[in-house]
Amino acid sequence: MQTLGRLPLSLKLPLLAAAMMVLVGAVASQQVLRALARVQDARVQELAQMHVEGLSVALGPLVLRRDIWEIYDTLDRASQGGEGRRMVLTAVADDTGRVLAATDPRRVPMDSAIADLGPRATALENLSVSGARPVLRLLAPLVYQGRTVGQIVTELDVSDLLTERRQALLLLILGNAVAIGVLALAGYFAMRKMLYPVTMLARHMTETKGEPHPIPNTEIPQGDGELAQLARTYNLMVGAVAAKAEAERRLAERERFVALGRLSSSLAHEINNPLGGLLNATDTIRNFSDRPDVVRQSAALLDRGLRHLRDVTRVTLDQNRMDRQHQSLCLEDFEDLKLLIQPEVSRLAQDMSWSVHLPPENPVGFAAGPIRQIVLNLLLNACAAAGPGGKIALHAGAEGRRLVIAITDTGAGMPLAALGRLLTDAPQTPGGGVGLRLVRDLTLGLAGTITHDRADGVTHITVTFGPEQGASDADG
Amino acid sequence: MVAKTMTRYVNRRVLLGGICAAGIVGRASAQTVFRLGLTPVFLDNDAAVVDGLRRALSRSMGREIELVQRRTYQEITGLLLERAVDAAWLCGYPYLQHADALGLVAVPVWRGGPRYQSYLIAAADDAATGLADLRGATHAFSDPDSNSGYLVTTTDLHRIGARAESFFSRSIFTYGHRNVVRAVADGLVRSGSVDGYVWEALALIEPDLTGRTRVVARSEWLGFPPVCARRDRIGSQPVQALRAALIGMGETSEGRQALTVLQLDGFQPATDALFDGIAARMADLEP
Repeated sequence: MQTLGRLPLSLKLPLLAAAMMVLVGAVASQQVLRALARVQDARVQELAQMHVEGLSVALGPLVLRRDIWEIYDTLDRASQGGEGRRMVLTAVADDTGRVLAATDPRRVPMDSAIADLGPRATALENLSVSGARPVLRLLAPLVYQGRTVGQIVTELDVSDLLTERRQALLLLILGNAVAIGVLALAGYFAMRKMLYPVTMLARHMTETKGEPHPIPNTEIPQGDGELAQLARTYNLMVGAVAAKAEAERRLAERERFVALGRLSSSLAHEINNPLGGLLNATDTIRNFSDRPDVVRQSAALLDRGLRHLRDVTRVTLDQNRMDRQHQSLCLEDFEDLKLLIQPEVSRLAQDMSWSVHLPPENPVGFAAGPIRQIVLNLLLNACAAAGPGGKIALHAGAEGRRLVIAITDTGAGMPLAALGRLLTDAPQTPGGGVGLRLVRDLTLGLAGTITHDRADGVTHITVTFGPEQGASDADG
Repeated sequence: MVAKTMTRYVNRRVLLGGICAAGIVGRASAQTVFRLGLTPVFLDNDAAVVDGLRRALSRSMGREIELVQRRTYQEITGLLLERAVDAAWLCGYPYLQHADALGLVAVPVWRGGPRYQSYLIAAADDAATGLADLRGATHAFSDPDSNSGYLVTTTDLHRIGARAESFFSRSIFTYGHRNVVRAVADGLVRSGSVDGYVWEALALIEPDLTGRTRVVARSEWLGFPPVCARRDRIGSQPVQALRAALIGMGETSEGRQALTVLQLDGFQPATDALFDGIAARMADLEP
């Protein structure tokens, strides 16, 4: 049954149809054989009755007279007739059961007991061509002028009827087999043709490796049948899925640009703040070029400011460089993230607690790209939630072979819509950001988990990555 | 004795037809029709044989011949005694039983003489070598008035102090010598008493039938079944014409043809001395 369940529909349905045809054929054959048996029984009974009645008329007076030769002669002549060939033996006994004559006197001698033949003999009304017995034995009274004057035992050769029945059975089996075979084959091809759109649809759905392709119009069945509607609906769904994926991609891109915009703004501040000092240093060098100590101090100041700018620039570039996406997560990634968020924290005059405990060499190999994006999004969200003067914190560390990152903020708590985007796959409400859903998608992509907790006015978001899943996309 | 098997359904129709025809002819020309009774001869199932005999005699006698057949010797003998037939082909035994009222017309000649034998037969594979071996067996006689088919075996039994009723477990009458051969050949009975002439004739025309039987014992040569007429009619013109026709049968083509079919050499005048052997057997049975 399991094997049948695994078979394709185009094979299973014709097989089921063939099985039903076999069943119907078997039942029909049984009915035919029963009808044939009834006809044969009636034929044999009628023949036997005529035989017995004919013999009764002819033999009645002879039996009364005990004219043995005449009885034998009559039986012998009767056995020479056409139907006599079916009567392989006929024995006649008197009213005491003593045999007077039989068509085969050597087998049934004169004066023997007719009862010796009787054990398997049946009455006329019970005569039936059944079983494998090629000879039926009939026991009937010999009635003459209304009274029973003796008994007749007749053996009927029904081997030809049994052969006829066997041939009928054989023909039925062969005929049914051929008919079922032809019909099953035709059914198979018909079903296959009818189900081709379904198999084609299944193929398009299963063999596209996550990128469903629309069914070409040439392969869509003609007309407006269910299968044609199914194919068109599928094509519409494929279009909708593609449009959704494109929309999500654009939203993610936009979110990326939004985040970049916010970072750029912070970066501008980060660059602008030291610029004043650097410009002052250049003015100082220009004005006090004759004072080497001042020049050295100003140069040192310039050096520190430029190095800071270089670091900020590198981190920003790293955050957006594609070749970082698949490298393994390391301690420097968190330093970069701190550097990236620091301007936002400073802008909002927030208090940030930063705690990262990772082994010097990352044994697990979590993918750096998606985790950096997840953490950055969560940090930006925490900053926004905490508001000016608020507190945010990041604690990252390895617990066994797992990576646990907890981000807290002192904001008013996440609205339900935001929680929905972060913790569930519920459809996004229009107007909402895609940052938290991006966090969810990326985390689920790494088979990680996200938990949310709100206690003592602090919101806790914890993201946990397992060793296998988190490392699946990393190549470093 | 001439034996005959009856094909009853055919013969009865033939017989009835013959009787009716005889009645019509009798009324039309009572003086010209000669009625000859026949005991059941071995070939009476062949209408051509009977018709050939009738035509041969009719032509020789110059008058119509009606052949009258019955199932038993007794019936034919009765017809002859009551003048229902003018003559009859009887057996020596019933002739001697009514010798005071019957006279001899002619006797057939078979294999050179007017004599034949009675055969005691059994199945071809039967081990019996004589009558004594058949004690307790079933037996078929031809007719209670037949010499070869009854008298010979009965007297043989008498001579050994036995009676058919007790010697055999059961004895039946088939009323035809061919029937006796069939009864033995088919196994209906173990043994039978049959006319030797009939058995030999059947051996030529139905060898498959006689081949399933074997002659266990043969009697002495006895007088062949004669053609008889009432003693008071023996000198009448029709009976004398019959005698002449029988004795001269070999002189006409139709007569020769009839004799060939009957496997007889011809007919000759007969004397009572020819039947002394049968008379002796009859005497054995007298109390």
